[in-house]
Amino acid sequence: MKNKKSSWGWFWQSVTGILLILLVGLHMIAHHFVAEGGIRDFQQVIAYLSNPIIILTELAFLISVTVHAMLGMRSILFDLGLSPQWERVVTYGVVVIGGLTVLYGFWLTYAILAQGSAPTAFLFR
Amino acid sequence: MNLYRPELKRFRFLRWFDFRSWRLGMLAYILNRVTAIGLVVYLYLHLAVLFLLAQGPSGWDPFIQIARTPWFLMLDVILLAGLLIHGLNGLRVALTGFGYGVRSQKPLFIALMIFAAIVLAVGVFKMFMG
Repeated sequence: MKNKKSSWGWFWQSVTGILLILLVGLHMIAHHFVAEGGIRDFQQVIAYLSNPIIILTELAFLISVTVHAMLGMRSILFDLGLSPQWERVVTYGVVVIGGLTVLYGFWLTYAILAQGSAPTAFLFR
Repeated sequence: MNLYRPELKRFRFLRWFDFRSWRLGMLAYILNRVTAIGLVVYLYLHLAVLFLLAQGPSGWDPFIQIARTPWFLMLDVILLAGLLIHGLNGLRVALTGFGYGVRSQKPLFIALMIFAAIVLAVGVFKMFMG
């Protein structure tokens, strides 16, 4: 029987997981199967990211994958049979690492767009 | 055998390596956890490599030559296998968690893994031949 604390984690793990099946599928097809030679060069990446819908999809992917990964790592670490204090440390730890990961992803997206003078760079200003 | 006894809470992960409990359900659970750890490692490697894009064409374009080598493509095959196993097995876990297909978990798992193998075969063909 799941307790209340693990239920919210499980719920969001499932929601982001289902979302990720669509987003990972889209990401893999768009980046590695549609792109010529399986990978885009810099100018092709900038052209691809010049579409605001693509940017929003990639950012949704970043947030979903980070939340899913952090909840998953939390769940695996909880399997070590941690004390309640250590479980709290792990929960705060994944929140901090997840937050930093999303911030890095947003910064990286902006840095790439700015580097290539993409018209969609304005979305971050 | 009830694997969720409270006295087994500490070091529950040791069950992953207990071959005696490797029935289909346990195998699915282990596959989910092992692929999860692999995919998280890959996620951070991927985010680190994408930093090259922030350096412009001089940073990114030389990497493309490496990414198109057969050895690198083999890593992509492992990634695709991990994504398919984790994603489809995870879909089964989510569905059963919401109360769908609880009684047909085993055939569902087998069907999803067969589907994963087919998609992987198509993906490998596309990577190396397409």
